[in-house]
Amino acid sequence: MKKFELITGRTLKQGIALHIGKTTESYQNAVAVAYLNKVDMDENFITEGKNILLSTDFGRVVVKALKDDIPKGMIFMPYGPWANLLISVNTHGTGMPDFKSLIAWFSPVDEEVWSWEKVLKEVKTL
Amino acid sequence: MSGNWLIRGGTVYDPLNGITGKVKDIYVKNGKIVNKIDEFDIKIFDATGMIVAPGNVEIHSHIAGPKLTAGRILRPEDHIKDPVKAKHSLRSGCGFSVPSTFITAYRYLSLGYTTLMEAAVPPLEARHALDELEDMPVVDKGMYILMGNNNIIFSLLRKKEYKKAKEFVGWLLNATGGYGIKIVNPGGTDSWKWGKIFNSLSDETDWNIKPIEIVKLLAESAEEFKLPHPIHFHTYNIGFPGNYKAALDTISKLKEYRAHLTHFQFYCYGGDSWNNFRSESVKVAEEIRKCPNITVDMGQVLFENTTTMTADTPWQFNLHKISKNRWVSADVENETGSGIVPYTYKSTNPVNVIQWATGLELALLLDPWHIFLTTDSPNGGPFFLYPQVIEWLTSEEARKKIIDKLSPRIKKRMYLPNIHRELSLADIITMMSAGTAKALGLKNKGHLGIGADADIAVYKSKESISKTLSKVNFLLKGGKLVVKDGEIVDAVGNGKLLRVVTNVEDSSLEKYIKEYFDMYYSINFSNYKVEHDYFKNEEVVPCGGSI
Amino acid sequence: MKKIDNVICPFCGCLCDDLSIRIENNKIISVEKGCSISKSLFLNHDKDLALPTVYGEKTSIKESVKEAVNILSSKKHTLIYGLSSTSIETQRIALELAEFLGGSIDQTSSVCHGPTVLATQQTGINTCTLGEVKNRADVVLFWGSNPLESHQRHYKRYSLFPKGMFIPNGRKSRKLIVADVRPTNSSKLADIFLQIDIGKDYEVINVLRLLLKGKKPTSDIVGGIEVKKLKDLLDVMLSANYGVIFFGMGLTMTKGKYHNVEAAISLVRELNFHTRWSIEAMRGHYNVKGAGSVFSWQTGFPYAVNFSLGYPRYNPGEFSAVDLLRRKEVDSMLVIASDPAAAFPHKAVKNMMDIPLIVIDPKVSISSKIADVIIPTAQVGIGTAGTAYRMDGIPLRMKKLISSPYPSDVDVLSSILSGIKEVKK
Repeated sequence: MKKFELITGRTLKQGIALHIGKTTESYQNAVAVAYLNKVDMDENFITEGKNILLSTDFGRVVVKALKDDIPKGMIFMPYGPWANLLISVNTHGTGMPDFKSLIAWFSPVDEEVWSWEKVLKEVKTL
Repeated sequence: MSGNWLIRGGTVYDPLNGITGKVKDIYVKNGKIVNKIDEFDIKIFDATGMIVAPGNVEIHSHIAGPKLTAGRILRPEDHIKDPVKAKHSLRSGCGFSVPSTFITAYRYLSLGYTTLMEAAVPPLEARHALDELEDMPVVDKGMYILMGNNNIIFSLLRKKEYKKAKEFVGWLLNATGGYGIKIVNPGGTDSWKWGKIFNSLSDETDWNIKPIEIVKLLAESAEEFKLPHPIHFHTYNIGFPGNYKAALDTISKLKEYRAHLTHFQFYCYGGDSWNNFRSESVKVAEEIRKCPNITVDMGQVLFENTTTMTADTPWQFNLHKISKNRWVSADVENETGSGIVPYTYKSTNPVNVIQWATGLELALLLDPWHIFLTTDSPNGGPFFLYPQVIEWLTSEEARKKIIDKLSPRIKKRMYLPNIHRELSLADIITMMSAGTAKALGLKNKGHLGIGADADIAVYKSKESISKTLSKVNFLLKGGKLVVKDGEIVDAVGNGKLLRVVTNVEDSSLEKYIKEYFDMYYSINFSNYKVEHDYFKNEEVVPCGGSI
Repeated sequence: MKKIDNVICPFCGCLCDDLSIRIENNKIISVEKGCSISKSLFLNHDKDLALPTVYGEKTSIKESVKEAVNILSSKKHTLIYGLSSTSIETQRIALELAEFLGGSIDQTSSVCHGPTVLATQQTGINTCTLGEVKNRADVVLFWGSNPLESHQRHYKRYSLFPKGMFIPNGRKSRKLIVADVRPTNSSKLADIFLQIDIGKDYEVINVLRLLLKGKKPTSDIVGGIEVKKLKDLLDVMLSANYGVIFFGMGLTMTKGKYHNVEAAISLVRELNFHTRWSIEAMRGHYNVKGAGSVFSWQTGFPYAVNFSLGYPRYNPGEFSAVDLLRRKEVDSMLVIASDPAAAFPHKAVKNMMDIPLIVIDPKVSISSKIADVIIPTAQVGIGTAGTAYRMDGIPLRMKKLISSPYPSDVDVLSSILSGIKEVKK
């Protein structure tokens, strides 16, 4: 599967939604998403708003794929429990995990976007 | 919590009241020194054969505020040299050149200090200094508020609105909870915000004002408000060869005023390069002697790895260039700046050893009411090494240990080899308590007369003055027992914040300041003044004057 | 209905202090001047509040505090974590508690600007307060930071638009440069945008330093940028009267981490030999700067502190929260003013699930969803007053706007501390 560079970061939508509530639909809609380049989406037969299974060496998660002005080959996800399913706990002795520049891959799925409950379940069993 | 005490039969040193080594009883009631009490309920401390002195009053030390935090963050390697464990009610922390706050208080208390003055606080960050001071238990404390590079004062001076500028000075002291006015390289720190090195009292800055105008305005404000402590002044051209001229220039321009010139050893250098760097302490001391209205403190250097930190940003940049050590700087909008550079003074470095000699010379050439014991901690070295400075001041033999190792070439560039004076116990106690309290205008500190705060230090007499004073055996602070048998037994609870409140009459002043804030500050004027909540346990020192 | 002006927002490091809040019947009904995030924060202040809970059962604050005391006084190595979204007054007590327990304590810088602290310890820093940017900065460079999404009013209040003493024309008097791995809303406003290859910031910054020293790199392209373009950028930077670099997670989280920040700080230091530059970390939470300060003045160390030997020890990578959790070295955890279950890599969250977890928070959080004990508190700046330090260190007093049904963080931590002291007497 084609490999992409995944970075995570802050978004305005995430900032607004976290005050509405971390377990609300607004938060999930803001954070359980992955922003991709349109060409990458087309090449992988993903339409805007379709769900994808996003994976790294450290985990996987089902989120909604959205189009954005992202360079080809890159994926951007907002900070949050969904992104953290993909991130290694290794900090290389710095205390800081690799929240940016991860290698990820994805495929379209028919599954629903994972709820926060499912995310926590996945955390527990991984 | 403070009860009645009798400190019985000690050898009392109370220089302010003319007592030097007289066996005397001291009575304490309700936190004050009183006449003889005849009450049954009284604790007695037998001080026979021991030295009884007023609690020491630190006139200049960098202990609390944003540059201290920055200095602590910068130097984890300094901290791991000197970890301090928690012990009963005592908190843990770290020591050496930028100790943590609890340790700062405990170490000062162990040296018999009961009052501490933080040397330099930016008004915009006064709450931060107050927050740190709150984590220094037991000691009374105060802050000098940085004003020498304040743009509001510059604006008013430029417009020749002198009265308004002075009112602003008084207002600023009220707004920050400060004790006194601090001036650091007036015009210099502001100029360096554009990278300009400005080093003079007489030249015009980009604001078209001369730094001496700033200094005089502040000195006059101190006079007219009747502040207990005059301007506290870190003058221009610190540290450089040949800067004794700046010292003489500063003294001559301030002859008519009261002033305290701080860490003055750093301004007593001759020569014109690092290669012919020499001491000119004799010339400077001569001028100081002529000015009874001017006091100074030493700023003594010790041969240690320490952390320099001042509001003299161009100087700190220079020190970085000279030493190539790590450098922290911070520009504070409209008000001031700060710089931090770790530095090691070495006895094998000719410049450092001459600096060392110069500080001691200055102290030995002046009388102890005129010059006080400091290291400008941590600039010259950490305060808890004061006993080493005491040893050098009181023992020519101790000085010779270093001097004898020097080449004749170096010895020629200092006066110390020819100074045989050894200060007495009374002298040192004066330089650490009576003299500093008097210069600070603290009427209830630095002495053991009736009505004084019961801040009383008792030392076991040892084989030398420095060993005697290196560790307090028994300490009362406000009549409360803090140190017993040389150990801190109770360091819970805060001392008082000593601050001045001036009588500012100009009602249009706040409107002017608000306009300035709206244009040039990044916070709202209504969020600037420090709320009274931060002045917990305050003691307002009355001023009484007005502009 | 009452209107309170000059309210300080308790969200991000901007610590905007000009908001106007209208309150009716103890409820916030409108917010003026705040950004969209602050509006959401204030208008939702009473939604989704946490409830005192012990092992899933709703209870009273008293009972939840009691259980917290039971847990903490019976454990060997507790990690206290969070603290960036509460007051200085709270942070003090948390440190006292950690020391008394002989545990570890860490704050959110650990996964945010911790690398900035590490870089500063290595190499110093030249910085300034935000008013200097307003008054003097004619060249502003955002590196690895997207302020329009993370610090919405930063451009407006401090770094791009304001008119200042020496910047009479505001935006027109400034040049904005943005360096990032992708175009963002913030880069859209830039005069110069540098799109850097992922993980290549270190190389690009060091080539700038090389060019500043009058030397040439061996390639024509570095990190996706032509060296020629970097030369032009350097000329712009040297032409500044006062330049400022603002940087964010794009430097601290990317490969190289603190090395990236060291490079940026070194560039600024070296520029100061030619003109004047400062560099400023875009601190995320409204009082994370305060947390680092209180840690430093009480212990000497800014984060990742351990008290097991009776004195503070510092070692990011060893005593940092993620690492302590990874190695399962803590047998209990107290989370306050933060949501690590939403912020940490999942393996760390898993290990949080396996130990007794106490969460102190005004709101429902992901951490509270896996907590054994939940203690709700009042939000600083809304239901309780307190001191906070802005990203540039300026301390402000957060106001109490409404009456909260809950105690403050200060009260809760104090109760826990005195409860534990009672047990361990």
